Amino acid sequence: MDSAVEIKFWGVRGSIPSPGPETVKYGGNTVCLELRFKIKDHHRQIIIDAGSGIRNLGDVLAADHFVNGNFSTEIYLTHTHLDHILGLPFFAPIYFPGTQLKIYGPITGEDVPLKEVIGGQMSYRYFPVRQEELAANIEYIDLREGRFDLGDGITLVAKYLNHPLLALGYRIEYQDCVICTAYDTEPFYNVFSEDPADPSYDELLAQEGDLAARKENSRMEAFFHDADLLIHDGQYTAAEYDSGKKGWGHSTIEHAVETAKRAAVKRLVIFHHDPLRTDSQIDAISKRLCGGRQQEDLEIIFAREGMTLKV
Amino acid sequence: MLSGPEPIVHRRQPDKCRNRRLTNLLPPMIDSKLNRESYLKRIKAYIVRMPSLSTTLVKVMETCNDPLASANDLKRVISLDPVLTGRVLRLINSAYYSLGKPITSLTRAIIMLGVNTVKNLALSFTVLDNLNRKSSCQSFSADEFWRHSLCVGVIAKSLAALKGLAPTGQEEYFVAGLLHDLGKLPLYIQFPEEYYRVCMNVDRGQKALYQEEVRFLGVDHGAVGRIIAKKWRLGSTLVETLAHHHNAADSSDKNCEFVSTVELANQLSLHFSIGNAGDYFIDYRKMSRLRHALGVGSTMLTEIQDTVPGEIERAKFFLEVVRSG
Repeated sequence: MDSAVEIKFWGVRGSIPSPGPETVKYGGNTVCLELRFKIKDHHRQIIIDAGSGIRNLGDVLAADHFVNGNFSTEIYLTHTHLDHILGLPFFAPIYFPGTQLKIYGPITGEDVPLKEVIGGQMSYRYFPVRQEELAANIEYIDLREGRFDLGDGITLVAKYLNHPLLALGYRIEYQDCVICTAYDTEPFYNVFSEDPADPSYDELLAQEGDLAARKENSRMEAFFHDADLLIHDGQYTAAEYDSGKKGWGHSTIEHAVETAKRAAVKRLVIFHHDPLRTDSQIDAISKRLCGGRQQEDLEIIFAREGMTLKV
Repeated sequence: MLSGPEPIVHRRQPDKCRNRRLTNLLPPMIDSKLNRESYLKRIKAYIVRMPSLSTTLVKVMETCNDPLASANDLKRVISLDPVLTGRVLRLINSAYYSLGKPITSLTRAIIMLGVNTVKNLALSFTVLDNLNRKSSCQSFSADEFWRHSLCVGVIAKSLAALKGLAPTGQEEYFVAGLLHDLGKLPLYIQFPEEYYRVCMNVDRGQKALYQEEVRFLGVDHGAVGRIIAKKWRLGSTLVETLAHHHNAADSSDKNCEFVSTVELANQLSLHFSIGNAGDYFIDYRKMSRLRHALGVGSTMLTEIQDTVPGEIERAKFFLEVVRSG
């Protein structure tokens, strides 16, 4: 490993695991990223999200665990929708004594603590093992917007995205590298009526809503400005989004490309593929967008399960 | 409108005096078993899950459960509930605490948090029905409290508008007015008998409610409001409004004019006799001083007095909670 950070994509699919002959190339597991930081004489690992892809990562870690003994790791959840947490009960290290696991997740306004939200899926009504029976020592920590020093020279900036549930995007800075995640999200838009014919129309509200949405979109671009790598939601095409997907909390591939260009991002990974998206469709979209060559200064990559990128 | 010679102090006659005879039979007001610290301890515990007002909740639930309800409807119904408005601002300022300047605009909060998150937050509320119980210890009803809160919000916003503040800045005045008396709710709900006695004493006396609260409970609703606003990270402007709306001179230089506006709005709402949150004491000397300091002339007051009742009634109609009797 000669780069500062390696990112492995253990799951790239959104919404629900989507195995089958039409998703063999890009993969059907839901989202899970592994970041490995080269730190002098060792590597530090950070996991983002615990979709079904985390099962395969857990199996690799379990093998290491038997060889090297106890280990600790940290998982940063972007939010707690099912496709981002459903792999956790199948993450092998949680069954080993000596595993130290820290799980970070965003506050959502609910009074239910993170431990209950995540661990709730490990109760007898859903799963044969209860959270209380796990051998690992698991600590749950609330996250909110802010800039956090993770030690070892790693800085994590958390920012809320635009999703039906409060979801965090992460900007990770290490040495001279910047890696950003922005999923599940869609562009902020004015949720208030802009139609004067609408009985509930309020001119001031419409203006304020428009202003607030613009401001948030600017903050979003500033968040991943100049990133070396941006992993962005690209669940829909523009046509799909316009046919009833607005407000579902996901972006179009076209938006991801445009916003990455404006923010002077160097490499863009289109991520969180729709479960209905076939391998051939992704190939076709890639060909259409990139025309077989990379655009100007922006490299566009469609996330593929098992792929590793170096930054 | 305010005109003619003004008395230095005036106590508005309460609408309901049905409990006066009962009051005379009540034991002495000071409960020696409870001191200020124990009051505060229970108040702080209560604030963690402070419920919404029953007056607005029916409409809130209806709007939030309706998948076709618009963001405009959602914003409007939330902006009529002081507790819910406070809770939405609490969430935005807790989650986005790195923004630096606290967010006091409900519009921006809804854009940033998203309609669903705000709906979920609203739906998670329990109803504050304690204010409506049929009890001999009823200091004021939820409806009357709501009317008073909304009235102060509407007047504060009107004053800001008449002073020429840009429309985008007016919402903060409305929110501040709407929330100004939040500190009364924990006192009333947690200590209904004691608070009833305080209110009844105000009814008989010549002092403002907040002074009687200090005298009998050791803490006033301004102090409790400050605790709520700080805990909910509402920012210094709202913290100082909730804390000092009976004495804006105690607020910082930065917020003094803002808090003075809400203080004047509160006094005017008492003068207009719209709603009731337990206080009947109108300090005309203070009102006159505030009007002078803020440059609020008689024409402005006439305009406000002409428009406020209509706004309250429209909000009431919107909530569809017109009750018999």
